[in-house]
Amino acid sequence: MQYSQKVLDHFMKPHNVGKLDNPSVEATEGSPACGDQVSIYLKINDKTKVIEDVKFQSYGCASNIATGSIITDMAMGKKLDEAKKITWKEAAEALDGLPPVKMHCSVLAVDTLRKAIKKYEIDHKLREQDKFDKNMIAEELKKIIYPGAGEDIVTLKMVKYIGFEDGKAIIDIDIPKFDKYRENVADEVREHLSHFDEIKEVEVNL
Amino acid sequence: MKKNIYFNNCLTSKPAPEVIEAMLPYLKEKFFFPENFIANGSEAQRIIESAKETIAKTINADAEELHFTASGTVANNLAIKGFLSENSDQGNHIICAVNDYPDILTNAAFFEDSGFDVTYLKCDEQGFIDLQELEQAINEATILMMTTLVNHTSGTIQPLAKIREILDRKNQNVKLLVDAGQAYARMPIDVKEFGIDLMSFSAHKIHGPQGIGALYKEKSIKLAQIQHGISRIDDINTGAISIANIIGFAKASELAFSNLDKKIEKIRDLSNYLLQQIEMKIPDTLLNGPRGADRICHNINISFDFIEGEAIMMMMDMHGITISTGSACASQGLKPNYILMAMGRSHEQSHSSMKFTLSRYNTKEEIDFTVEKLIEVVQELRSRSPLYEEIKKEK
Repeated sequence: MQYSQKVLDHFMKPHNVGKLDNPSVEATEGSPACGDQVSIYLKINDKTKVIEDVKFQSYGCASNIATGSIITDMAMGKKLDEAKKITWKEAAEALDGLPPVKMHCSVLAVDTLRKAIKKYEIDHKLREQDKFDKNMIAEELKKIIYPGAGEDIVTLKMVKYIGFEDGKAIIDIDIPKFDKYRENVADEVREHLSHFDEIKEVEVNL
Repeated sequence: MKKNIYFNNCLTSKPAPEVIEAMLPYLKEKFFFPENFIANGSEAQRIIESAKETIAKTINADAEELHFTASGTVANNLAIKGFLSENSDQGNHIICAVNDYPDILTNAAFFEDSGFDVTYLKCDEQGFIDLQELEQAINEATILMMTTLVNHTSGTIQPLAKIREILDRKNQNVKLLVDAGQAYARMPIDVKEFGIDLMSFSAHKIHGPQGIGALYKEKSIKLAQIQHGISRIDDINTGAISIANIIGFAKASELAFSNLDKKIEKIRDLSNYLLQQIEMKIPDTLLNGPRGADRICHNINISFDFIEGEAIMMMMDMHGITISTGSACASQGLKPNYILMAMGRSHEQSHSSMKFTLSRYNTKEEIDFTVEKLIEVVQELRSRSPLYEEIKKEK
């Protein structure tokens, strides 16, 4: 498995790394326990809604740093409506591809950017806080990449059942017993769903 | 010119030039297999016996107790599967530890699925197995204790004499299987003194060729035939085995065991120097595994707070320095290193762990260059890390 030259370039000399002094908004996704965390800082023009400056910090591997670098390049100078449409696949393509096992880094970087934009929009009353429902669980599961294929577990039809009742989420995942990513996928499901205050307990059935 | 400094000798090691030299005739003109009554075949038989004697002597075994295999993993499989299949009527309980080498753990899981009871002993924060738990775990049905003499991650040397003493006291029928992949030729091993019944090791970790391992089997131990087929060189490991590799293995052993104590001392001095330099020059580090004589001479495993191991590994690689990491990002299953986790390290400490495994070919100059680059790399990655930022703020 190898990284593209572009990934290596962005890893060794990342663009926009650091913090902004007075950001309009900042957001962090991931966690040190998972081995990758990204923080993004945006300076947004309140009138034009253009991202005038952006910086990131990263705790993570080479692709985590490279995706943080490329996503901030892509967001710089864009209007919020355009920036939030950037997808993880576009970010990966801009790096001349990522190994399937590293595709989750691209999802994390895009997710952090979107979280920052959403936070700004809520703070500036441009949108309402999302109301929790079962569909949000499915949307969250789309952020979990099966490392063997570099595609999300919903698109791959690995999610067989999503249940939610009395604060308990029940997720059935179809994954072979000897799949080396089995535990990783289960941990990711638990980690992602722990972000919802409404979910008190997660049961993952493999 | 880019350097080529290699600190991943626990994975595989550079073949010694003398080993290559010794192997060449057996790759070119002396390629024969053992065969009765003809000169070429008889010579092949003689050199295999001689190689067995050379290697057996290094562990105080008899030549007939040594079996060549394609790798250490093959030796482990032949031993574990062969022993448990042959002796399942004697009992169905086996013991190993949560931090054992994957060969042991995957075989234990396989036999657990087949109906064996398996006790997975805990380990302490330095990687030593819980001897009290071992004592309590042994019962009348116990037939095999498996242990990794030197842990491949933490460098911890298990107290083999104490383990044998406990086995003998509680149930003398329990046989002892030792994975000596990291231990062989890095510490003296006397199979008779330690009471070892089965032991695996391989050539490529001691500057021998890849593709050859060995199984020591005490004479009285019976193994079921696991690998069937024609017996070319060994009855347990049927099929063809490279004669050149056997020669290379014997040569590598001969070289390693000539002045073994001095070689161990040299490697230990280099490892201690590396550790001392890192701890002196880089703040916020944590040694994983024990210090001193309970740690194997060639292993230094250290966590660098606030940054992730794959990034360190790759930046060091770009400076021509090969080291490895326990980070999930660089692992096969994207999980943090199970040994460090079993030792009570946090996910972060596991993700940031770096392993340096040295050999007799490393030099003090290489270590000085490595530490110089490591300081730069750690500083650079910490300057990008939000975790470091938070800590700085708190301070």
